[in-house]
Amino acid sequence: MSQPSFAAFIAGKPWLSKPMYKIASWYCQAAGYRQLGLRADDLIPEESETVLLALKRLDQKESYDRVYRLRRAFQMSLSHKLLPKEQWTKPEQDYAYLSPIIKQIEAEAKEKADLETLVPNRK
Amino acid sequence: MISRSAIGRNAQLALKRQCCVQPATRRGLAAAVSGGSTQFSYETAEAGGIKIASRDIAGPTTKLALVAKAGTRYESAPGLTIGLEHFAFKNTHKRSGLRITRESELLGSQLVAYHTREALVLEANFLRNDLPYFAELLAEVAFETRYTAHEYAEEVHDTIHMQQKRLLGNVSELALNSAHGVAFHRGLGAPLQPTSSTPLDKYLNEDTIQDFSKNAYSKSNFALVANGANHAEVSKWAAEFFSGASSTGSALSSEESKYFGGEERISHDSGNSLVIAFPGSSSFTSGSSYKPEMAVLAALLGGQSTIKWSSGFSLLAKATSAFSGVSANATHFSYSDAGLLTIQFNGSAEAIRGASTAAVAALKSIAEGSISKEDFTKAVALAKYRTLEEGQNTEAGLVATGSGIVHTGKAFQIDEVGKAVEGVSADKLKTAAKALLEGKATVSAVGDLFVLPWAEELGLKI
Repeated sequence: MSQPSFAAFIAGKPWLSKPMYKIASWYCQAAGYRQLGLRADDLIPEESETVLLALKRLDQKESYDRVYRLRRAFQMSLSHKLLPKEQWTKPEQDYAYLSPIIKQIEAEAKEKADLETLVPNRK
Repeated sequence: MISRSAIGRNAQLALKRQCCVQPATRRGLAAAVSGGSTQFSYETAEAGGIKIASRDIAGPTTKLALVAKAGTRYESAPGLTIGLEHFAFKNTHKRSGLRITRESELLGSQLVAYHTREALVLEANFLRNDLPYFAELLAEVAFETRYTAHEYAEEVHDTIHMQQKRLLGNVSELALNSAHGVAFHRGLGAPLQPTSSTPLDKYLNEDTIQDFSKNAYSKSNFALVANGANHAEVSKWAAEFFSGASSTGSALSSEESKYFGGEERISHDSGNSLVIAFPGSSSFTSGSSYKPEMAVLAALLGGQSTIKWSSGFSLLAKATSAFSGVSANATHFSYSDAGLLTIQFNGSAEAIRGASTAAVAALKSIAEGSISKEDFTKAVALAKYRTLEEGQNTEAGLVATGSGIVHTGKAFQIDEVGKAVEGVSADKLKTAAKALLEGKATVSAVGDLFVLPWAEELGLKI
């Protein structure tokens, strides 16, 4: 799930983030998932223990909405159509609902690994 | 002139003495042991608005407990106490539950959370030097636990359901719960552990538990009890870490307990248990409503043997000795404003039937005053021993003291309890037993109801 990203680096520099923001917004629109009514976090591959656990931790409403979006997108994809324009995902709807949970789970796993390989050094 | 050999010998002796005779003050655990006293009475105080009781028993370890008035009696919906108990030592805003576990392991300590009908206890056992760390930890657990939805779903929920199922197979616990329910209806009558047929999911989720925690851990609702720690130090750290307790949350309260009595019968396939119960005395810490004769009566009836490989010579043991395959046991449960004297029978249904009839006859003989002086003296001695031992035993004394100072501001002082028990006379005991038989009894039968007796068959009023 955690691929290398320049996002934090770019966000720290206003002169860089302004033009990049424009490019990024254009790219997200051009990527085509919004035209199927999906969000960026819907594209995260499910086939890992971490993501499966994160999906379980989603609250009921989010989880239901996610399934609805995915099924709608499948249907659209099968019938080679796009959604009518008013149903496209708007940029403000395209927020990260799943990745914070994934990050939290990864942090937990890291903490666990760290604590389990810890060597006590008591004075 | 002194001969050389003499000097040599003296010098050798002196040397020997120096290295062999050790100063009286030197001891093996010198670093860890403080100047703790051997007194078993608690010092009480208030630091930063928090009630504190501590006693400095000599020894290298300390037991620090947060006793909150949030037992099953005070829960506003079923299961909240047990939910809060299971959320203890989970993720907090400062660190994760895993880190709490690992850190306490590294310091060599033990963290426990449990509840009684009246109190919810968060307890830490640790080495004397680590007091500040664990005082901070208990404060953090009480005030800063996050009560996350995923912990509830992944850890708390499942454990509670397993506990519910475990209880369903335990007839003696079911019978005790049932007896409490029949005797006190609400409040103290709430089951200590919910059975699996209790609809918990309706009432229990992370939000309701969090709301409950705000009241349970509000300033006037809990006390800190320490065993084996310096009083000044406990006050200092309590004031530092616990002064952040909210004083806005309302302290939990429940109606004053009222004894009802009656009969309940539950059919069950895995074992038989019968509980005969009578109104008892409230605990020592409650003040005027404390009746030491109830403890003596429980000791006189007895049941469990104090000698190995023998059934003992208590009245219950003698009465039930004719019936094999049954164990009878008289216990006195005391709470802040009420008590329950129970006689519990476990074993085969037929044996319970016979034994319970014999036990009621024994109780009647006490009420008629036909107990021997020797039996009475033995019972007083045993009751005194039991209360003193309970007070000395850090665990029981801890909960008794904690609930005592939260409820009435009085600690469990074992020397006073001992005196009260000693002062019971045979006449007092007789009147108490008579009053019990004249009043309404509580009878709970769990198991093979075809054989187990009804209260009316035993000759008890309900």
